[in-house]
Amino acid sequence: MPAGPLVTLPWPETKGFAGQLQTARRMHWYGSVLDGYSARSSFGEMHRCSNVCLWAYARRLVGFCKTLVTVGLVGWAVTSAGAAQPERSVVQIVVFRQEPDWTLPWRFDAVRPANGSGFVIKGRRLMTNAHVVSWARQILVRRFQDPRPYLARVEFAGHDCDLAVLTVEEERFFDGLEPLEFGELPQVRSTVVTYGYPAGGEEISYTRGVVSRIELSAYTHPGNRQALSVQTDAAINPGNSGGPVIQDDRVVGVAFQGIPGLENTGFFIPCPVIQHFLRDIADGRYDGTPQMGIQLAPLQNPAYRARLRLPDNDLGVRVDYIRPHSPATNLLQREDVILQIGDYPVGSDNKILFAGNRVSGKLAIQLVQCGEPVSLRVWRDGRELSVAVPVRWFDEDRAGGNQYDVRPRYYVFGGLVFTPLSRDYLRSAFQGAARGESRDGDAELTYELFFRPQEDPGSVRKEPIVLSNVLADSVNANWSLRSRALVDRVNGMRIECLEDVIRAFETNTNAFDLVEFGRSQMFECLDHAAAVQAQARILKNYNIPRDRQL
Amino acid sequence: MSRVFRLAAMLLGIAPMAMAGNEARPAANDWATAVVRIEFSRTLYDLYQPWARRTGRTLKTGLVVAERQVLTTAQDVSDHTLVRLQKGGRGEWTLGKLLWVDYRVNLALVTTAEESFWRGLRPAVWLDGAPPGEAALQIVRWREGKLESRRAEFTQFTVHPSQTSGLNHAQLEVDSEIQGAGSGEPVVVGSRVVGLVSFQGGRGCRVIPASFIRQMLTAHGADNSRSPGYFHFYWAPAENVASLAQLGLPGSPRGVLVTKVPARLDGQPNVLRRRDVLLQVDGFAVDIQGDYRDPDFGPLMLEHLAVRGKWAGDEVRLRIWREGREQTVSYRLPRYDFAHDLVPWGPYDQPPQYLIMGGLVFQPLTRAYLQQWGAEWEQRAPFRLRYFVGEEATPEQPAVVVMSQVLPDPYNIGYQDLRYLVLREANGRPVHTLGQLQEALRQPQGGFHVLEFLANDSFRRIVLAAAGADQQATARVLERYGIPQEAVLTGGAAAQ
Repeated sequence: MPAGPLVTLPWPETKGFAGQLQTARRMHWYGSVLDGYSARSSFGEMHRCSNVCLWAYARRLVGFCKTLVTVGLVGWAVTSAGAAQPERSVVQIVVFRQEPDWTLPWRFDAVRPANGSGFVIKGRRLMTNAHVVSWARQILVRRFQDPRPYLARVEFAGHDCDLAVLTVEEERFFDGLEPLEFGELPQVRSTVVTYGYPAGGEEISYTRGVVSRIELSAYTHPGNRQALSVQTDAAINPGNSGGPVIQDDRVVGVAFQGIPGLENTGFFIPCPVIQHFLRDIADGRYDGTPQMGIQLAPLQNPAYRARLRLPDNDLGVRVDYIRPHSPATNLLQREDVILQIGDYPVGSDNKILFAGNRVSGKLAIQLVQCGEPVSLRVWRDGRELSVAVPVRWFDEDRAGGNQYDVRPRYYVFGGLVFTPLSRDYLRSAFQGAARGESRDGDAELTYELFFRPQEDPGSVRKEPIVLSNVLADSVNANWSLRSRALVDRVNGMRIECLEDVIRAFETNTNAFDLVEFGRSQMFECLDHAAAVQAQARILKNYNIPRDRQL
Repeated sequence: MSRVFRLAAMLLGIAPMAMAGNEARPAANDWATAVVRIEFSRTLYDLYQPWARRTGRTLKTGLVVAERQVLTTAQDVSDHTLVRLQKGGRGEWTLGKLLWVDYRVNLALVTTAEESFWRGLRPAVWLDGAPPGEAALQIVRWREGKLESRRAEFTQFTVHPSQTSGLNHAQLEVDSEIQGAGSGEPVVVGSRVVGLVSFQGGRGCRVIPASFIRQMLTAHGADNSRSPGYFHFYWAPAENVASLAQLGLPGSPRGVLVTKVPARLDGQPNVLRRRDVLLQVDGFAVDIQGDYRDPDFGPLMLEHLAVRGKWAGDEVRLRIWREGREQTVSYRLPRYDFAHDLVPWGPYDQPPQYLIMGGLVFQPLTRAYLQQWGAEWEQRAPFRLRYFVGEEATPEQPAVVVMSQVLPDPYNIGYQDLRYLVLREANGRPVHTLGQLQEALRQPQGGFHVLEFLANDSFRRIVLAAAGADQQATARVLERYGIPQEAVLTGGAAAQ
């Protein structure tokens, strides 16, 4: 039976009747019982009865009321018992996390506590958000109304879909806990309830709301991904993250983010994304949300459609760009029109109809597992054809998104700190930049990371490297460039990745090391022998455990 | 005899006064005879709707520098429609006219034919050299009918770009309590003019120095064929002794490192190479921070040597260290030209260029275009557009055309949300200017216009109908949006 709020049922007063029924649980079948008895007409009839029939009617009425009360009590008991089940399977997660300093990448920031929520799923596991447990040094979980903390660890984390599965080291943690079942994508305007341990208190909290909107939206945790998400006006606050969103006793989503400043707006990850994640990890490895490596553009201008000899039926989107080395490279062509992805016809607005909702066509690809082919119905040169394109995870996008649970790579030589260019690095570096400091280098780094791969993919380095810091020492004291400089060459070698930097320094036989930088074409030198000699001193002075992290 | 003595006494008395007229002014309030107000009525443009105009008015300070000549800075002079002058800080305004304006050096000269205006006015006298260190500087201007004179303290000499161009030259920095300066107010010491204020930020003011002004006035007074030059190469301080050692430069650290030498657009050969060490410029030794010792201004960045008594086309002797030895190369100064920048300053004194085709609005990428994002445009303008700033124009890419917006019309349905996209090709032809775009649109492909844009997250290619539909749509858009012309191209000429 669905749990629901307390309501006051209006009941017509009649002469001689006890009065209104003050409280009852509203249940779906309660209304049908009421309708069946046609209470209003019965009472109306009662008014018109003679006193001789009154006793007969009164007996019927009492019997009816007894049934009603019995049913109500039973219903109450059943729903009370049902309402307790989800709660018992919802856990509080306490994490102590430590994030790296991407500009001084051997260091970590201070340990910080954070709270989230989770719930029990099949296989004696817990599900939560990846962002709840990322960078965790310790994960504690607490059961419903149980004071004991249990140690947990991450079994799988999907940072691109912001989901994670935990295991608990103590087996007895799961004693008496029923795994929550997953449901389907809820309908808009339907009601959902979030369970969790948000800020503002210490005990479990419930909030109810309606499903407001279903579409693909940006997931904050990865930073450069969109995926299916459901918007609700149920309050989702810090601490709710990872908690279940329930409808009809089933989990229809995992609460995960909100939008600061927007009221009554919370989001949860719906079951299609959750199921994709669970299927992915079934083989013991998380592969990720796949892409095809193509950029699609809506095809709504009549002239363009006419040029492609497309019918005027609002179907089809155009392949605007194919990423080099993507699975689609030899299978699709620019100007191909995608009419259908899998089972989903694609509208000219680049949307598909998914469970009654118009959402971005990207979803049709995201529902497939990495390595599996996606069948496409393609319009090319005036005719239809079928193409199957395998999809994969694009590791090339890793640096452009937020990274988690991997130690930043770096190399230190002569006090020069080299690290790969990444979104995380830019965020740390820009936060640390002094106001008024020149931003030319920052613009170059931004261009290199986010624009060059699109504009000039042939010139993209596998792993652009940044001079992140110059740790002051006599060997580098006169360097003008101190940070946030893109490295072009070292000792004449074009730098494609961190290993190139290491090799360039370690194989140098000249008296000086020459480091050349990007757009500005500036260059700086190091006395090689002095730098080698200073290495141990610098590592010691700056408390750097080792000169490299690969 | 007594009559002779009386005459002599009179003459002796007059002579000093006459001589004093050729000397500077003894008292600050005498600046009233050299400082005037200038009002420029201007046409102002909305770069987001480049066909839209409004009017504005700018009040500046002018300095009488010669007979019938008043000097001010060139900022806020462009697109003027009316010039008026006022002396004495109050009263009658006199119609004037612009004699010349040079946005490269941020100077403008105005005059008036009205004789009565010049009565009682006398040219100011420039200071020779730099102001003495402890000299009491004053900034002078008319304000609310009174001659305001505010104390200014000399801070330093620097080299900065002009406020209206990228041309680097020496400037003074002073600190003053004056507010709202930066419109050509003279900075004076005693009875001499030190320079004109071109910029104020907080209490700091930047001043165009007298020596530079005099040099530019001389150029404009002559046959006007001389243009300022500049150093087109890039250099970095050579503070890193290891870099100098790596290049083999013996002795004490000196000079700067040449880091980038772009191709010259004037056809002259490049005499410098990357990784040269620039040791001297015209005999002035350059230190590792890029400064030389200027006879007037003391340590100053070497960029000023491109304009110090020099003009475009003049030869500058550069002493360099290259390939293990010192050598001298002759560097011919290129002419400073706005078109050398991929994103040029201005443009000045011309309406903004644009071209509308079927509701798609194309504009050249200029500083004025970016400045529509306000004073903080370097942070607020679209990243990819502002990333072009600072790049040199090349023969392969002389300029950038932006599709700035789409005015909705049934013709362009599906594209109405596009904005700030960099146009690369139209109908298979590279496009860098509106003229090229106009030409390309005359040659559609199979009845369609195919436009290609620099990579972005929305559309890299769009297609629109040609064969008359484009012209009909353009006419419709002009009508609906109240746009007088479908295009304004170079020099303000309307589309043919």
